[in-house]
Amino acid sequence: MSTQSLARDVRRRKRRGVTGGSGAFYAFISPWLIGTVLLTLFPLGYALWISFTNWDGIAPNQNWIGLKNYTDALSDPRMWASLQRTGLLALAIVPITICGGLGLALLLNEKVHFRTGLRMLVYLPAIVPPVAATLTWKLLFDRDSGAINGVLAIFGADAVSWMSGNTVFVVLLVVMLWGIGAGVLINLAALQDVPAELHEAARLDGANAFMAFWHVTLPSISPVLLFQVITTTIGVLQTFVPALLLSPANGPAAITAVPEANRIFMVDVYAQYFAYSKYGYASAMLWLFFLVILLVTIITFKIGGRTVFYAVDPSKEGKEG
Amino acid sequence: MTLTDHRTQTETDHRPQTEYQAAPPEVPIRQSRERKNQVAFVILVVVCAILFLPVLWLFLTALKTPQQLASDPITWIPTQPQVQNFIEATMVLPFWAYAANSLFLSTVTGVLTTISSALVGYGFARLHGKGKKVLFGILIAMMMTPPIITLIPTYLLFAKVGLVGTYWPWVLWGMAGAPYLIFLYRQFFAQLPRELEEAAILDGCGRLRIFLQIFLPLSKPVVITAFVLSFNGVWGDFIAPQLLLNQDNTTLAVAITTGYVNSQGFPVNNLLAAGAVLYVLPVLIMFFFVQRSYVNGFATSGMK
Repeated sequence: MSTQSLARDVRRRKRRGVTGGSGAFYAFISPWLIGTVLLTLFPLGYALWISFTNWDGIAPNQNWIGLKNYTDALSDPRMWASLQRTGLLALAIVPITICGGLGLALLLNEKVHFRTGLRMLVYLPAIVPPVAATLTWKLLFDRDSGAINGVLAIFGADAVSWMSGNTVFVVLLVVMLWGIGAGVLINLAALQDVPAELHEAARLDGANAFMAFWHVTLPSISPVLLFQVITTTIGVLQTFVPALLLSPANGPAAITAVPEANRIFMVDVYAQYFAYSKYGYASAMLWLFFLVILLVTIITFKIGGRTVFYAVDPSKEGKEG
Repeated sequence: MTLTDHRTQTETDHRPQTEYQAAPPEVPIRQSRERKNQVAFVILVVVCAILFLPVLWLFLTALKTPQQLASDPITWIPTQPQVQNFIEATMVLPFWAYAANSLFLSTVTGVLTTISSALVGYGFARLHGKGKKVLFGILIAMMMTPPIITLIPTYLLFAKVGLVGTYWPWVLWGMAGAPYLIFLYRQFFAQLPRELEEAAILDGCGRLRIFLQIFLPLSKPVVITAFVLSFNGVWGDFIAPQLLLNQDNTTLAVAITTGYVNSQGFPVNNLLAAGAVLYVLPVLIMFFFVQRSYVNGFATSGMK
């Protein structure tokens, strides 16, 4: 049999279901399917149900109180304040991380000395676990022994108590911005895929470096940037560990001791659950937050979808070009 | 893509252009191409220095005496580096026991996630079934679902069935695979040629054998990427062990945040720094060794 007739035979068999119909497919994806139902959808549903009760986490029975937790949350200035803080955090972090990450990738894509070493250094902070990253910056911002106050002292400034008051929000921002290199690997991969002949054509048409970047590079890598905007936004909105660990207190007391400036949404949710035992109310907050994140993601997709440039078929385009 | 050079092809592609540039001879142009970009280099060195200084400070703090930490003005560089701080950091709390817990949980979850994600990724890439499109949409939605949202209610449910305080939740999470890694595998498997399995099917090979003997060996870079990502994910995770485990069976991530305090409850910064260094080191070493495959895993999986 020739290869073609073999292939035809296979195709015919497949149509008849010889190569496995839905059965094989479902067998292979079953770990994820079962896992998603049990470990994601069911917990989400459970939280939704709790959010309609006044459960305190201990009582054997939960009382149905309808939408009260939601109306309470929506009329709670504390909830709005933490939502606003979380939004502010995202507005500060996302643009800097995306633009900075792209800028670094563009520089690392140039021919420079020690390029491999520099790439690893840029990426290094992004792989430091959040716990260690937060502890590191806590030491740098330490009032008495930290390098930041040490530098300030050289210029004659007084020591700043970074960990209390509004300044702790600055520390949180810095901890999060340290991971600016996280997107560099993906950006570099995308930059390698920008067809060289497009740049060639732009140069021949008299475009300068900036015009070539704006009209050729940026559109080509825009899908990657949109993907990063979305994942970074979701990542920043759900920030919790750095804010918790920047609390002046340790252990179980830490959550309620988080300074107000760092009381972002998940800190508030966690406190409502485990410090105040308001499980119903906290679950309502959790669901409101889930909806907010969903909404932000959809809006970003809609806005981004209009500006993002897709090649005819990105996967094939790369290989032929 | 690799972290090393890949401009060579672009360079050669450029060469025909010299034909159009009549006046200057070929040599100076080629020289200007060969020249390294000094401005980019300087900016990168400054950025890298800023990004690396915190790591350096962590090391310096780990080598200081309590007196140096209390000095005014601050001590920049410890004169007699206290190397024994690293040993002390492993003794004031059962450091190695916590490290073993972290290693165990990260390895088990890493291995399970790597295998299950590959299975599911293969299913989405090479098999057909009713509702596949919808399910793939759900997978993408799960990629976008913030894990922290589901973690707290999952914890409440684990508490109900008595799994709090055990390592079973990590086994279950591992078996379920990770949406992001499933997506990586799916992208990788989808681009492989059809012929790979056609002959095997005619030979009567089962799907599982095709997956194990043909597809899995081909996906080595993705396997490494998946393992490193999930291993580091568990090693670095704070909230899940904090919620689910106890003082005596928790992981290093939780232990180092509470373990280095004096009798008054104030942090002992030099030991804390030393503990943090020891905690980060395995992650950095692992990344250093696998970075090539890791990067390839990204690049070959259409994560771009």
